[in-house]
Amino acid sequence: MPFKVVVLRSHLSQILVKKLLRVTISILVLLPLRMLLSAEVPQADLERYRQEIAPVLKAACAGCHGPKKQKGSFRIDTLDSDLLTGGDVSWWLEVFEVISNGEMPPEDADHPLKDEEKARIVDWLSGEIQLASQVRRSREAHTSFRRMTRYEYNYSMQDLLGLPFDFSRNLPPETSSEDGFKNSSEMLQMTAMQLVQYRKQARRALHSATIRGKRPDPVYYGIPMRAFTERFDPEYAASVARTLKRIREKDISLQEALQAEEKKYRGRPGGTYFRNLITGQGVKPRWSYHGAKYAWKPVSKRPEIPPAMQDVVVIAPNQKFVVDVGNGLPDEGNMRVRIRAARLLEENTDDRHLPTLRLYFGNQPSNDSRLSVNVGRDVVIDAPPGDARFYHWDVPLGEVPRNAFRDSHRLGQLPNPGEFLSLLNTSSAPASLTVDYLEIIAPALEQWPPESHTRIFPPRNEDIEEEVYAREVLTGFMERAWRRPVTEAEVSQKLLLYERLRPGCIDFQEAMVEVMASVLSSPKYLYLGRIAGEGEDGRRITDLELASRLSFFLWSSLPDEELLTAAATGSLSKGAVLEQQTRRMLTDPKVQRFAQHYTRQWLGMEELDFLKFDTKVHGRIDPLLVESMKREPVAFFSEVLGQNRSIFEFLDSDYALLNDRLARHYGLPEVLGHQLRKVALSPDDRRGGLLAQAGLLAMNSNGKDSNPLKRGIWILENLLNDPPPPPPPTVPEIDLADPDILKLTLKQRMEDHRDDPACASCHSKIDPWGIAFENFDALGRWRDTVRGAPVDASSMLFNKEELHGIKGVKDYLLNNRQKQFSRAMTHKLASYALGRPITFSDRSEVDRISTELREEGGGLRDLILLIVKSDLFQLN
Amino acid sequence: MSNIPLSCLDRRKFLRGAGVALALPWMETFSSPDRAGRESARRKRLACFYLPDGVPMPLEEDPSFKDWSWFPHGGRTDFRLTKCMETLTHLRDEMTIFSGLSHPAVRRVHGHRNADQFLTGANTGAMDDEYENSISLDQVFAAHAGEHTRHASLVLSTDGGTGSPRGAHTLSFNAEGRPIPAEHKPKRIFDMLFVKSGPDAARRLALSESALDDLMEDARSLKHSLSKHDQETLAEYLQSVRETEVRVEKARRWLDVALPVVSADGLKLDVTPEDPRNFLRTMYELIFLAFKTDSTRVATYQLGRENGVGISDYLARAVGFRAAHSLSHETKNPDGYKNFGVYCRFINEELGRFADRLKATPEPGGEGSMLDHTAVFFGSASSAFHLSRNYPLILMGGRKLGFKHGQYLKYGRGNEENQATAGISSDSGWQKEMNYTELPLSNLYLTMLQRLGVETESFGGSVETIAEV
Repeated sequence: MPFKVVVLRSHLSQILVKKLLRVTISILVLLPLRMLLSAEVPQADLERYRQEIAPVLKAACAGCHGPKKQKGSFRIDTLDSDLLTGGDVSWWLEVFEVISNGEMPPEDADHPLKDEEKARIVDWLSGEIQLASQVRRSREAHTSFRRMTRYEYNYSMQDLLGLPFDFSRNLPPETSSEDGFKNSSEMLQMTAMQLVQYRKQARRALHSATIRGKRPDPVYYGIPMRAFTERFDPEYAASVARTLKRIREKDISLQEALQAEEKKYRGRPGGTYFRNLITGQGVKPRWSYHGAKYAWKPVSKRPEIPPAMQDVVVIAPNQKFVVDVGNGLPDEGNMRVRIRAARLLEENTDDRHLPTLRLYFGNQPSNDSRLSVNVGRDVVIDAPPGDARFYHWDVPLGEVPRNAFRDSHRLGQLPNPGEFLSLLNTSSAPASLTVDYLEIIAPALEQWPPESHTRIFPPRNEDIEEEVYAREVLTGFMERAWRRPVTEAEVSQKLLLYERLRPGCIDFQEAMVEVMASVLSSPKYLYLGRIAGEGEDGRRITDLELASRLSFFLWSSLPDEELLTAAATGSLSKGAVLEQQTRRMLTDPKVQRFAQHYTRQWLGMEELDFLKFDTKVHGRIDPLLVESMKREPVAFFSEVLGQNRSIFEFLDSDYALLNDRLARHYGLPEVLGHQLRKVALSPDDRRGGLLAQAGLLAMNSNGKDSNPLKRGIWILENLLNDPPPPPPPTVPEIDLADPDILKLTLKQRMEDHRDDPACASCHSKIDPWGIAFENFDALGRWRDTVRGAPVDASSMLFNKEELHGIKGVKDYLLNNRQKQFSRAMTHKLASYALGRPITFSDRSEVDRISTELREEGGGLRDLILLIVKSDLFQLN
Repeated sequence: MSNIPLSCLDRRKFLRGAGVALALPWMETFSSPDRAGRESARRKRLACFYLPDGVPMPLEEDPSFKDWSWFPHGGRTDFRLTKCMETLTHLRDEMTIFSGLSHPAVRRVHGHRNADQFLTGANTGAMDDEYENSISLDQVFAAHAGEHTRHASLVLSTDGGTGSPRGAHTLSFNAEGRPIPAEHKPKRIFDMLFVKSGPDAARRLALSESALDDLMEDARSLKHSLSKHDQETLAEYLQSVRETEVRVEKARRWLDVALPVVSADGLKLDVTPEDPRNFLRTMYELIFLAFKTDSTRVATYQLGRENGVGISDYLARAVGFRAAHSLSHETKNPDGYKNFGVYCRFINEELGRFADRLKATPEPGGEGSMLDHTAVFFGSASSAFHLSRNYPLILMGGRKLGFKHGQYLKYGRGNEENQATAGISSDSGWQKEMNYTELPLSNLYLTMLQRLGVETESFGGSVETIAEV
């Protein structure tokens, strides 16, 4: 089966790459230039091996790995010393690794290697590896030709159709490559089931983008908050009215006016409540789905917007306000929800806090079935008290979960067919807000036909024949979707399809939508890479292919018109234009997609989505804190990217991207508001960089307590690209039934485990990294003690380097592992940029880029530019 | 590079690879309608039924324990059916009753959210959470057996449609975990099976054929510009188009095959749940007819929606009660368990009637009865009040598929007499800690799938099977 071949191939490359990354740059500089200077086919330097290397290896290694003994089933003296053609490359990589890391010969060896001998071996091996890498480049096929990922498909559809909907809901999730990337060519499969989904999805998307018939009449809701109390709490409303009337007519004080009221409705009811800002009276809102008693009905004429009112609803932090809209909303179209809102400054509150408001849309057919989904961004309510203004959200009604009983049941019946909006104040600081008026327009249309329709079907001149118009429409659509000029033959083929389909369709538009669904299910849309064209020398990719490669790298989507134009005129591959276009793309908001997807994949953040915190140990965890923890690494990456800051700031930085909840979680000075923003750190703050971010620490816990093993593996795998070998098939379990083991601290338990020879070799490489993070609990909070005992976060690395806590890790990485980190980062980023694994033969380019990057100061943007300009990116 | 150390082979990656392999399209030679006769000897069928709101679970000291406890009394073979199940006595050797099975992911959710995952085993989450489900047992089988019949599966419920998240009106969920709307009007079910095929079907198939030709053309022209290596990648796409073409071709052939002739005489096709006994009988009869005519080999029928909200709550009127769901709440009233038991007795009686129909009908072109070739699975995802554990389950039929019957199988430890899950009548009960163990119900599902001929090693998180049945 082809699939097995793929796995094996990628596995090999994984091993190769892993070893190769350990070659140090200083050695590279001394490389012989045999390959570069000679036009002949390069040869392995077997002579030098025989004279200088073999005798040393024999003396130092053959005692254990020679004719008499073969420890680890390994024998060194029979290895094929030709790395270019021989079959022992992986063994040589192993030798290279253990010798350069000082792991072999063992400390107690009879023949320790002299420093000079060690250098000689490393020098010879690195030269041969480098040469072999370059030779293999021309031999081994590796390619970026691949299917779009699920998220790339989604963004491409969004950009193509100009609609912000989720178009990938029904597509199967992607499997990650060994590097953790979802866009890796060897993992992106296609099945018949998937093809059917692509066709369905394309048709559905085109139906959402296009319209038929006349402009739909919108429905309107215009609900002043006063109407809520008048309808559901008439006694309260009457009391407020009487009080106001007394003040106004009798010219008495509020106190006096209220005295006349039997039930005064004074005091803060707490939570969300209605309030009259003049009398200060308040009452809690009521809502229940049952019987649709609280449902509002829409009207067909837009209600006049009343002037700002003193009857408001107060929504305090973490509180929500539910508005039942019954079953009056249309099935599809854009629902615009407008609220008139202002901040509320309570006594004794700090006026620096700005509240944020989030919109949910949901339904509750019966008491155990309720769904409520976030359908919009958090809106910052910045209008000052007394000067309320409108804020709005747009919600695509055809795209969000709806109540399935909308049409089959009447309001008041069970299951209840009604739907509701819910406004949640997401501020964690004491920042309340008021709303006095809410308006819903559905559908709210900016223009008719909508832009998404005219983008596909531009207005048609009456004189133009259907076939001519069809050709024009299809050509434009195909060029945008296939991101290149299309040939006459291609258009004719689609026109032929149109002609075949037309008789079975009710009209022109239906047939055209069917044809366009085919354009979007075609491999020419779904697969990336290989756009043939003029002037191709067989090795360099065409400008059009370059444009797509760039846009799927930085935007996870199709190239825009400007990029395509640059490519079509053949100027894109010219250095200055390429750089200018790349810089432009990096400042486009669409680059957020890159930050989001690259960061999540690079750091393996899917784990965090699956993590369940143990609420017995940690209590209820604020879901908005967890959400912030997920956003922090992405925001941090965006900051480094946006400012072209050094990639070494991922290891440590003197700032962090925080919001109110994260700052509190970290025990840092107060930050106001839910938005993440850059906050300066002082050296004692223990945070900064990625290593001490709560989400990543939590992700590598088990939800209950820290997990040093996971944290250690994560550093090695994700940050240093030095994945430890997998556990052997027969790992002895830690015997928790043993009372002596139960008494040990976690660190002691791990050390005990490490005494086991079966575990020692791997764990001594992994555990010390993780133990240094012991000051962080399962939620990434700082702790000085654990279960009553002081935290011991000191450990010793395999190379006898001591690590003291988080600071020790950061210092060590910055002082000793910069090269490794920058190579790892280059490797990961290049792999993502190319959509394929980095193989043995890419190594020299990766090394070159990473060296230049450090010379240029390590800026993340610079790294992207270096990759984009490299042969890696531009050659087939 | 042949001597890569074996220890380098990462088991995680290997498993991941295995998952991909399983996801690869499974190739089969599609049968054509005219081959149906020859192939009938190998027919295997599955019918799944769901009862909402659990069953009577009195404590041992309760006077109603003896007669009205749903679970039988006694051991594996020497068990005694209570009055709840007495109506199935004549089928004793055709069935197995299970206790101690449940879905691990949802043992702590409120019982009213249970219909959604009864056949999927998914963790469908708590109120307000995002909702995710996974493919149901019947749909896994339908993907396998559906190729042989006009309808891949028949999805029915008393309430109809999809219902709402955590308030499903269907037992069937597709490969993406989305609910498949259930049909609930007998007339429409009958018409769909025996009167007319979808009016739009021929046109849609023609559109598909042309579109697939076009995609094939695109793939071919793209292939020319690709390297050999990339052509291999594209081969998957070409293969997918070809397979889809085969499916379309097969569907098209059904258009030319006459619908089975079935008389509607004696069927009350306009019946509604307001006449509950006849409604149930009609639904069961329609499934029987669909099986008999080999219109499908897979059927699910959700007898009622959880929590009573809906017309299925009328089913209890067949035995003189106002509504079904409240019977599960009122067990502490005088005769509470008995009343609930009387209702379950009626439900079992109608289930038995369906099994009898299958048993009395010789397998067309095969050996034994239709029941011998049909796995009939019945159950609820609650036992006691709102408690999502110790599901009451019955598996009937399928002797020719390898099932052994005449047993009461108790799984798990610490609740052999069902007492840990009995006597609950308030919401504090279903939230209680579990101080006994149960087996994943998906172990049974995996067993069923394998007996039904589906080559799979896992379902709903289970990789183990149940040998005793």
